Amino acid sequence: MAYVSTKPTPPRKPPLNESTPLGWLKVNMFDTLFSSVLSILVLIAIFFSLKSMLTWGFIDGVWIAETRRECFQISIDGACWAGIIAWMDSIFYGLYPRDEIWRINLGGILLVIWMVPLWLPRVQGKVFVGFSAVALYPFLAGYLFSGGDKGIFVQVMIAGAIVCLVALTINAALGYFKNANLPNVIIDRLGKNDAPEKQKRNILLGVLAACLVAVFIWQLSWVEKSISWTRWGGLFLTFVIAGIGIASALPGGILLALGRRSKLKAVSFLSMGFIEVFRSVPLITVLFMATTMFPLFMPEGFVLNKLAQVIIAVCLFNACYMAETVRAGLQAIPKGQFEGAHTIGLGYWGTMGLIIMPQALKHMIPNIVGSFIGLLKDTTLVSIIGLFDLLNILRTISRDKPWLGLHQETLVFGALLFFVLCFAMSKYSRHLEVKLSTGHK
Amino acid sequence: MATGDSGSEAARVKPQEKFNFFQDERVRSIFFQILTVSVVVWLVWFLASNTAQNLEKRGLSFGFEFLGVAAPFDPDFKLISFTPGVDTYSRIFWIGVLNTLYVSFLAIIGMSFLGFSLGIMRLSNNWLISRVALAYIEIARNVPLLIQIIFWYSVVYAILPRLKQSLDLSGGAELAFLNIRGLYVPWPVPGDLLWMTLVALVVSVIATYLYRRWAQKRQDETGESFPMFLPSVGILLGLPAIVFLTTGSPLAWDVPALQGFNFVGGASLPRAFIALLMALIFYHSAYLAEAVRAGVLSVNKGQTEAALAIGLRPGKVLSLVTIPQAMPAIVPPMISLWMNVVKNSSLATAIGYADLVAVYMQTSLNTAGHAIEIVGMTMGFYMITSLTISWLLNIYNKRVQLVER
Repeated sequence: MAYVSTKPTPPRKPPLNESTPLGWLKVNMFDTLFSSVLSILVLIAIFFSLKSMLTWGFIDGVWIAETRRECFQISIDGACWAGIIAWMDSIFYGLYPRDEIWRINLGGILLVIWMVPLWLPRVQGKVFVGFSAVALYPFLAGYLFSGGDKGIFVQVMIAGAIVCLVALTINAALGYFKNANLPNVIIDRLGKNDAPEKQKRNILLGVLAACLVAVFIWQLSWVEKSISWTRWGGLFLTFVIAGIGIASALPGGILLALGRRSKLKAVSFLSMGFIEVFRSVPLITVLFMATTMFPLFMPEGFVLNKLAQVIIAVCLFNACYMAETVRAGLQAIPKGQFEGAHTIGLGYWGTMGLIIMPQALKHMIPNIVGSFIGLLKDTTLVSIIGLFDLLNILRTISRDKPWLGLHQETLVFGALLFFVLCFAMSKYSRHLEVKLSTGHK
Repeated sequence: MATGDSGSEAARVKPQEKFNFFQDERVRSIFFQILTVSVVVWLVWFLASNTAQNLEKRGLSFGFEFLGVAAPFDPDFKLISFTPGVDTYSRIFWIGVLNTLYVSFLAIIGMSFLGFSLGIMRLSNNWLISRVALAYIEIARNVPLLIQIIFWYSVVYAILPRLKQSLDLSGGAELAFLNIRGLYVPWPVPGDLLWMTLVALVVSVIATYLYRRWAQKRQDETGESFPMFLPSVGILLGLPAIVFLTTGSPLAWDVPALQGFNFVGGASLPRAFIALLMALIFYHSAYLAEAVRAGVLSVNKGQTEAALAIGLRPGKVLSLVTIPQAMPAIVPPMISLWMNVVKNSSLATAIGYADLVAVYMQTSLNTAGHAIEIVGMTMGFYMITSLTISWLLNIYNKRVQLVER
């Protein structure tokens, strides 16, 4: 069938203008009839749910009251936030003695000071900052939180941590303001700029040793009251478990992943078995195993408290998940990188540490942070075996006599807290991914 | 090992490598393997001997005889009958396994549907719909599952009516009830001739399959497309319905009725079960939605454009071009999410649903002791389930690898 048009086709309508608000609405929400109907229905649903939530939480919410009964007298339908406010200290610090809370706060502030150099531009030695935060900070914080007598090893580590913290802070300040680093400044002040490298190193080691000895002698007189782990709780305990888990999962995961990819058959087989066993069972069974079977496994007279058992279980469990994340990242590295590293004469650890891992870790940032978020969320499970973490404290409120049955408010508060923490972490990882991307995969 | 090779190329003299015992790669490899294995063996022996000592000191024994002992408690929820004081711990184990599988199965179905819908919503051209889906996903993923479970549990508790004011879900027909204790629904009681309907169902499934194959073949040969959906539904529902009606409706319904202080008859689902099911669906569907979205986005845009260019309607583009290519990217994460559902159903223990962990690893362990055996059996169940699922995944991966893109 032949067809010849005799008149010109009418011009098409101009495309919708998306730059004006009305045009944007038309394109993105009301382009077809079906879409418009859906949009309107959703808008109505959003309006009513937001309205009821705001009424419940804010307009009818009660902020000041002594008991839940009083809340009801003020407003029968509103949220009773007074209960949360009354328990606020416990939500954050658990049963920690109220006049010792400064120790937890100080520990938190010290960690922030320790980590800040990682985010400052022009600061040198960032790898050491991260490494020392994992290796030394736990001893300082551990003593700060639990107090009591310290063994000689802990004393040395505390002295090391304090020296390290001060040195890192000075180094960071020097780097940020003067674009210099601490070792060079010390050498400069001592007027040994022209001395050979070996002598410079010896001078630095001498200064370090002198500082260590001084701090060690000072800390002998530093004694804090002992506080049992049973009084730890709330958000503080959640952070302790998650923090130790995060700090140990990455190194543990890297080791296990390398083990699984190893050419040594026995090593790879054992790593694989270990990883698969822990990944195929739920965390709660591992926690139960830790609390019921650890006492059987340990030699006589060796007693590990419940918190330590739980932390060990969480660390093992998450190291196995991290191992699979790391393995996926390692598989994405092209073979040429391994061969290139061998060609320039690097051994196994040199290849892995200098060439492969830095690239693999960069690829894996979203997944690693995803695992960290999972770990933070999973810490709520320790409430099932009776530790007073954030969730368990929140559930305790609803069993407290004045606030009997206060379920919704406490859970909404806990959910909001976790949402803010996890959402911030995932947004930050997105930001980091963009910042570190080199443009080629 | 490394001795100089004086072959045909005499001019090229290879440097004589000295055999250094400590530098040789093979020696080091064997040494490290032996070292690792011996450390692990020592560790296992150390733990085992400690355990044996501790057991002996506490007057405990190792063995599975306790499985034949009668259990003194009664699980709250069970799919098979149980008489406390008569039936044994092994039956308790199976009750736990069945309960875990039951709630996981329903949750997997629910979360698959919801997750796919959310994934499609997330890809919608409508900005509002896509944002609503995003908000859902972010909330569900960033709040711990345990908080969600307890939230469902206690919010349901706060909202639902008491026993006497039970909500009639069938709108006055008094068939299904919802109250603070749980959900009560009618349960089918099969009659004598029901097997004929079942046979008809099987026959109609086979007939549908054959019809679709024939239609496909016909389309391949002639290019004519036959209606698929309506005839399939017709055969699937029609034939069993006709048989069912002609044999005189051999199916009675056991309807729940309020007697005294509880509902009698029908099937009941306790509140903890519903809360757990809802939370599992809500939580995992968000992860599945992201996997679906990533899978669909991984299909090259040119594929969709080409499909539209050859004149396929948008619905056909989705079902014939986009989805088949997206599936290999969606299915592996989806199956590992299924595994997560099974594992996470163990959180039931926080709200008292009688799953494997709650009824076996907690209650039975407290009454019967035998920590090692019980923990081992529980973990063994999860490991076997996990191995089965990853085996299925491997089969699927092998099949889709043949149609390499």
